[in-house]
Amino acid sequence: MSEQTAVARSPIAPAAPTVRHGWEVDATVTVGPLTLSDETPLAKVSVRAPFDGAARRALGVRYGRTGRVDLGGEGVLIAGAGPGEWLVLGAPGTGAALVASLEELLAGTGEFTSVLDLTHGRALVRLEGAAAPRVLAGVCAIDLADAVTPDGTALRTSVAAVVTDVVRDDRAGVRSYLLHGERSSGQYLADSLLEAGAGAGLEVTGFRGLG
Amino acid sequence: MSLLPTPRRTRATDRADAERLPPRAGEVIDRRRTVGFRWNGTPYTGHPGDTIVSALAAAGERVFSRSYKYHRPRGLLTASYLDPGCVVQVGDEPNVRGAHRLLAEGMDVRSQNTWPSLRFDVRAVNGLASRFLATGFYYKTFIKPEVLWPAYEKVLRTFVHAGEVPPDSAPGVYDKRYAHPDVVVAGGGPAGMAAAVAAARSGATVMLVEEEHQLGGHLRWGGPAELARLAELRAQVAAEPAIEVLTDAVVGARFDDNGIPIVARGVPGIDERLVKARAGVLVVAPGLVERPYVFAGNDLPGVVLSTAVRRLVNLHAVRPGRRAVVLSANPEGDAAVGDLESAGVEVAEVVDARRGESVRAAHGRSGLRVVELGDGRRVEADLLVTAVGWTAPTSLLNQSGDRPVYEPRAARFVPDPTRMPENVLAAGGIVGDGDVDALVEHADAVGREAARRAGRSASAAVAVPALPVADHPELFSAGTGGFVDFSEDVSAKDITTAAAEGYDSVELVKRYTTATMGPAQGKLETVNTVAVLAAATGRTIAETGTTTWRPMWAPVTLGALAGRSHEPVRYSPMQPWHERHGAVPLIAGQWIRPEHYGDPAGEVTAVRTGVGIIDVTPLGKLDLRGPDVASLLDLLYVNRWSTLGVGKVRYGVMCAEDGVVMDDGVTGRLGEDHYLMSTTSSGAATVWEWVENWLQTAHPEWRVHVTPVTTAYASTNIAGPRSRELLGRLTDVDLDPERFGYMQVRTGRVAGVDGCVLWRIGFTGELSYEVHVPAGYGLHVWEQLMAAGADLGVRPFGVEAQRVLRLEKGHAIVGQDTDGLTQGFSAGLDGLIKLDKDDFVGLPELRWQRERDTAPRLVGLRPLDGMVVPPEASQILDRAGGIAGRVTSSRMSPTLGRSIGLAQLDRELAEVGTRVTIRLPDGRDVTAEVTSPVHVDPEGARLRV
Repeated sequence: MSEQTAVARSPIAPAAPTVRHGWEVDATVTVGPLTLSDETPLAKVSVRAPFDGAARRALGVRYGRTGRVDLGGEGVLIAGAGPGEWLVLGAPGTGAALVASLEELLAGTGEFTSVLDLTHGRALVRLEGAAAPRVLAGVCAIDLADAVTPDGTALRTSVAAVVTDVVRDDRAGVRSYLLHGERSSGQYLADSLLEAGAGAGLEVTGFRGLG
Repeated sequence: MSLLPTPRRTRATDRADAERLPPRAGEVIDRRRTVGFRWNGTPYTGHPGDTIVSALAAAGERVFSRSYKYHRPRGLLTASYLDPGCVVQVGDEPNVRGAHRLLAEGMDVRSQNTWPSLRFDVRAVNGLASRFLATGFYYKTFIKPEVLWPAYEKVLRTFVHAGEVPPDSAPGVYDKRYAHPDVVVAGGGPAGMAAAVAAARSGATVMLVEEEHQLGGHLRWGGPAELARLAELRAQVAAEPAIEVLTDAVVGARFDDNGIPIVARGVPGIDERLVKARAGVLVVAPGLVERPYVFAGNDLPGVVLSTAVRRLVNLHAVRPGRRAVVLSANPEGDAAVGDLESAGVEVAEVVDARRGESVRAAHGRSGLRVVELGDGRRVEADLLVTAVGWTAPTSLLNQSGDRPVYEPRAARFVPDPTRMPENVLAAGGIVGDGDVDALVEHADAVGREAARRAGRSASAAVAVPALPVADHPELFSAGTGGFVDFSEDVSAKDITTAAAEGYDSVELVKRYTTATMGPAQGKLETVNTVAVLAAATGRTIAETGTTTWRPMWAPVTLGALAGRSHEPVRYSPMQPWHERHGAVPLIAGQWIRPEHYGDPAGEVTAVRTGVGIIDVTPLGKLDLRGPDVASLLDLLYVNRWSTLGVGKVRYGVMCAEDGVVMDDGVTGRLGEDHYLMSTTSSGAATVWEWVENWLQTAHPEWRVHVTPVTTAYASTNIAGPRSRELLGRLTDVDLDPERFGYMQVRTGRVAGVDGCVLWRIGFTGELSYEVHVPAGYGLHVWEQLMAAGADLGVRPFGVEAQRVLRLEKGHAIVGQDTDGLTQGFSAGLDGLIKLDKDDFVGLPELRWQRERDTAPRLVGLRPLDGMVVPPEASQILDRAGGIAGRVTSSRMSPTLGRSIGLAQLDRELAEVGTRVTIRLPDGRDVTAEVTSPVHVDPEGARLRV
């Protein structure tokens, strides 16, 4: 058996490819006020558990909300995007460790739970900037006003006719949305957002990480 | 001797501004620049800010279209969005509202369906044949014989004055976006602006929608005081960042929970945008629509509304005529007299309807020449201005549940505030009358109340001041004939005839005559229709009632409704490689897959003789976890699963409750409570829903978690006698057939990638391994396989080769070799279906099917002439010539060098060796022999090496 160095690739083609954390990412750096970045390299772990039980309390995040917690020494973002379903985002390459930490965390609950590393099965982009709601309004019917979907909201909806988890994760007071969907539609989703945001000056920037 | 000036005969370029007035205080044109365009092929010029028709009117043109049925010449009537006489073709775009669309450089404007010209339209002969186009003529004529309907349709179409969309038209750019403002204000006049400002100041987000190109409503064509107030209100709007202003936009409708479609034009780079708004509160502030007067000759070019005159003179600085008669019943008519005089128009007669004076008829051929007054006098004029009343355009309120009531004192319908829902308010002229201060005061309160109802203000309910309606004489018809509906060419006589024929309900009259069904959607016509009908039936207007105002407010293009196209496309991680290597794409649902790489037959041969790899990423995959997975599989599949050991895979078929085959695939047991299920590519989503449905509704007690992982894995099938050799070069998994046998699963590392799932199965009929790798590494593994197998002659193969390979092996494809009626035993599943299981979905139906034993069977077919490949779906005939089945799959087999197929065939013809007749689509018959479905390697020896 021969051994080769494997590089993981996102479904979204980078404009200026480079390799970081074992992933091919976009080296483009943009300082514009409205950006789209491919965050697919982030570890993405799915947790299934009863809607509102001990596992939910252990995770500390209820349905429709997000939380940032420390898990096994790693800072992670947990999003309760579906009923009885959580998405845990961590740094690239930490998927297996996250699975182990989560299984350990949930083992004591006595509930039927399952933890699954979906890093490779999902696409993840971040749309950031004050005009981000305006871009999303072109492809998503959800009311993005603060009163309805404040920072820390997680929901599952249709974005450009693709089932997508929309996670509002403002950074430094700037509107920011993580959009998470199945991998094979990742390029289409990114293209749809860029088209919807063309008039607002949406620019592509490189991988940022959870930040 | 005529008192009217003789029209000058000059070149179009000379008369570009022949009727253009000196600058006006409120004009919206930019005189510093000119805009060139063509009108029926002749070059013209106008100014930015001109509408198409104002530019033409400034050049002295007075006829812009021919009418719907009789092809009568039509000119300006309202000089607004609603103007029925100004619908034109602009380039490839039909039915453009010429009195509203702004002029643009290079526009090619043409009249619609006039031949040979607008001026001399031969179809005007329809007017002579009007008795054959009587009321409801389409219900009375062209009925028989039915066989001629297509011919009638073609002939009638040539007379309709609609435009055309050339087949080679460039597609438009249409957009769609969503909005959730606290308040939508429909109408940007003084009331709309004031309501918007008040709502915004109360903390609400506001979308202010105006049909015109500027905010301001009637203030725009007013005097200095109105213009000053206009500037003040516009400044207030501009100062509120919470107000989003949409001009050249129309609120199309109001649906439940304030779902409000808004069609907006004038967005850079976009033809039209549909804004799908969901508003907390809708404020309806459209103002009033001036109502035409019904009298003989009322459709002659030169007969216009007072607001049209005021717009032309004050906004576009166009002199609308030379000698005018004004029929006035209100201050707007009086103001029009002043505007005409200031424009140098000779006002020959002011007919004051408030004193009982009237107009009987207008006379002329292609334009007004003489006005016949009520006292019998005849006045030469080229302009007759009518100001006889207003219509409250209440359609948005009607759609909200309101039933406006007729107020005879004001001669118009007014909203009934007691019937409006909490989240709908009305402001401005639609409610009542008053000067600008009164309108603004009322709207200010409405705006504050709207913000409160939208939850943006904690204050108590706002006291909205009354806005009483002003007295106005009831003036609808002179009783001398004339048109009620200018868009549909419906006359007063048509209405009275309909009533006489028994159509005495306004809803029936609408449908029988088509009155109110044209582009103005009743805003100009409804009240006159009701009034004429009321007079004909002896009822009051209130008793007669109105027609139902339905969405949309104005006609909407199909493009606007369709909006931006969102058609998701799915790609495998290996797609870049496929594209680089000449793969011919196949659109399979949302997936783009390689159909072949240029030589599908060669790809088949490569798999049979060496090794090939195919990208099967779209195969549906579900991760199943939990102690009750085996029970779930036993329930959903027709075969048995409780005996499947760890490390084994098994083929399964799912049937619906009716026993019809719905999907198939293999499922591998990766651990004690961990399975990976595969489905067909097209059935992935359906099966996921199916599984969840059974879990959540029938067995919520089962502990099973199902997660779709179709795209978590990039899947490659490595097939062919040398597949083990190729895969062995890249994996640490022991491929020895003694330890990794047929229908088994292993996990391990492939090409340096951990976490791969390998199962040994054989859809192609060859030794093969399906390798599922974490998708991010899919391209890497694929490239490594191609590199490592170069010396083995590895070839990629596409879906077409796979179809041939599986057909040679006799493997059915669900959805191709089955259909929506194919039950399990008709799909060749006899050995798979375990009728002795306690239960599974479809069991009763399948038991019954077995007992009947009359259903069609899946069989193999071989045409006697092996060079004939019957097209799929060719019918198979029984001995009496009836249909006995159909060919479901058919290909030329590169392995056998002849055509082979699968078919669904009646039970009595399904015995191997039976000869059947296949009727080809071209009518020829060919003979084929029924065979086993398995054409290659019936013993399965090649799979188990």
